[in-house]
Amino acid sequence: MTDERVFDHRPDPELGAALRRALDPPRDDHAAFVARVMARYDGALSAAALPTWQVLAAWSRRGIVAAAAAAALAGFLVGRALQAPEDPATLDAALTPVAFINATDPPDASVVFSSLVDQR
Amino acid sequence: MPSDTPSQPPQGAARIAGEADLVARTLAGERAAFGVLVERYAPQARRVARAVLGDADEADDAAQDGFLSALVKLAQYDARRPFGPWLMRIVANAATDRRRRRQVRRVEPLDPGLVGGGPRPDTDAVRSELGEHLRAALAELPPRRRTAVVLFDVEGYSHAEIAEMLAIPEGTVRSEVFHARRRLRALLADWKGA
Repeated sequence: MTDERVFDHRPDPELGAALRRALDPPRDDHAAFVARVMARYDGALSAAALPTWQVLAAWSRRGIVAAAAAAALAGFLVGRALQAPEDPATLDAALTPVAFINATDPPDASVVFSSLVDQR
Repeated sequence: MPSDTPSQPPQGAARIAGEADLVARTLAGERAAFGVLVERYAPQARRVARAVLGDADEADDAAQDGFLSALVKLAQYDARRPFGPWLMRIVANAATDRRRRRQVRRVEPLDPGLVGGGPRPDTDAVRSELGEHLRAALAELPPRRRTAVVLFDVEGYSHAEIAEMLAIPEGTVRSEVFHARRRLRALLADWKGA
């Protein structure tokens, strides 16, 4: 086992100093850096102090807007579907007489039965 | 090039007590107390972030993120323990997050021609050039390995403290430091031998 393989548990001052020089910021701007961090002190604290309910409220407002938009879209689609001309290609349309849809009172069972028999 | 740490932390129990007091005063709303902590740990935080990221400007952004994140989490700090490892863990995490978000590595892979050769004028340029080579050699190391060696040999943290900061076993820290040192010492020896 060479010396190199024996692990030294103490810091290596020479390597440490060389690395320190290599990693120190290229400009002597320590004070500027400290000032830059401290300039954001209040902002960081106020952002963190925002109560959870406020965050939820902000999200719920967005949720309400999204739900309203979805409802409007659904209403538009349903309305368009109701206004569309009858399509006899669909099974329901083929089996259901128009009179049943337009009637205000429920039809008599015998009428329903006879209309279905007529369809066939 | 800046000088060494402007305000070295006091050592041992006095350090822990002093920093616990600074934290308590910060939590009580004393802005200047946090300023003392930033003043004290800024050089270290910037170096650790630079070890992770390579780029000095990006490292400063990460170090700043780390300080502000620590400020927000200050109530979670255990005042019976040293402040430095707790802070450096946050800084290292902030730097690591940035590195993950980065889409393109800014630090180019090491040019083999850079290590172990070239002219060596006997001036400040030598140090500067050695610094470049060391940074390039560091960039070649896996991120955890370079962070571990910087925390150990530059910042003087113990293996146990580094293990806690990086959330890895202490044995892994020893191994990472060992391998990083072997690579970096070879580079230094080459420079000294020339």
